[in-house]
Amino acid sequence: MIVSPYCTIGPFFPASFVEGHDDLTRYRGGTARGQHIVLSGRILQEGGVPTRNTILEIWQPDANGIFSSCAGADPGFAGWGRARTDADGWYRIRTIVPGSYGDRCPHANLMILAIGLTRRLVTTVFFADDPDSARDPVLDCVKDATARRRLFAARENAGEYRFDLILRGENETPFFLD
Amino acid sequence: MSFSYDPYDDRTQLARYIDRYPLSFKRTPLEPLVPRPLTLSERTGPVAADLFTLGPMDLSKTSADAPRATGQLIQISGRVTDEDGSPLAGAAIEIWQANSAGKYIHDADRHNAPVDPNFTGEGRLMTDAEGNFQFFSIKPGAYPVLESGWWWRPPHIHFSILGRSWMDRFVTQIFFPGEPLNETDLLLNAVSDRDVRERLIFQFEGTSMGEVNAMGFRRDFVLRGRRQTPEVD
Repeated sequence: MIVSPYCTIGPFFPASFVEGHDDLTRYRGGTARGQHIVLSGRILQEGGVPTRNTILEIWQPDANGIFSSCAGADPGFAGWGRARTDADGWYRIRTIVPGSYGDRCPHANLMILAIGLTRRLVTTVFFADDPDSARDPVLDCVKDATARRRLFAARENAGEYRFDLILRGENETPFFLD
Repeated sequence: MSFSYDPYDDRTQLARYIDRYPLSFKRTPLEPLVPRPLTLSERTGPVAADLFTLGPMDLSKTSADAPRATGQLIQISGRVTDEDGSPLAGAAIEIWQANSAGKYIHDADRHNAPVDPNFTGEGRLMTDAEGNFQFFSIKPGAYPVLESGWWWRPPHIHFSILGRSWMDRFVTQIFFPGEPLNETDLLLNAVSDRDVRERLIFQFEGTSMGEVNAMGFRRDFVLRGRRQTPEVD
């Protein structure tokens, strides 16, 4: 069977579909184990212009590297979340530093849905003290060293990580084939 | 059971760049998208039933005994499967749309059409064991894209589906058959293939009469994903 066509999310995604999903650390009455952080940044279009009203979704493992749909996952951690950018293009998600597992470096999957994009854009944000020595089968697909560094969240203060997504143009974020 | 996910075939999808839709030229990455292996991380996804409170199956009422919203009552039904035709049970479907006057419940909607206090404008439901879904709503109105200076969107309903993984996450808009504005809509016409275009349009299923009198429309969805062929040594 032939897959259905994607179409843009448009400007009117209901606020109620976002509310409450920007905090992965409190889930079904529990609190997530691990280091609680705020992951925030700006989503910018060509020329560094902020995109407002963009929907960002996140999917990541818990502090032990276990996904919420798998056995043994932290029951207090949602694993999945969603946020919307404000007028200056900022998103903000409360989560935890993802655990590593197997050959995967600590990471979170990110998805962008916005006006102007007929399909979603997908990328991965990585967490490491030394990006240049990190090894990961998805990260290693980005060959250019400068582009590769753009996939790492920057630790700004205790418990605060910054990750900007530049959709097009100078310092463009690498996005993966989808 | 493990599933494989091929990259989307561009021939089954809308164009990324659309003339007279300026943001498509400002937001589509310039660099080629990077191929990557799909690991456990990309092949898993949230269990929708754990995440959401599933809302009304009837967008035309704010509660069971409330009056109906203004407009033509419609019943939408369909089925969600993967590329093998296997049903996706327990997929969450998020729906949102304009009311019969073409007005959304959203702070970004500046169109001066009236809000309908009896219309919810949104809903969440879950597919059953056979992948089927259905809900009642009001046929949405057309509305102008004010900043374009000319473009009117034809009636359409937005669908967002959370299937079985990060890879089959799906978002689209479905249009109504026979609408004159379908001929000029930038998004519906961003497809080169006639069959692809038809997959963006409801099929009229006839009318029902009795306790509920509604026009019926149907749209099935095929999400990405195939059963993985076992590797043979």
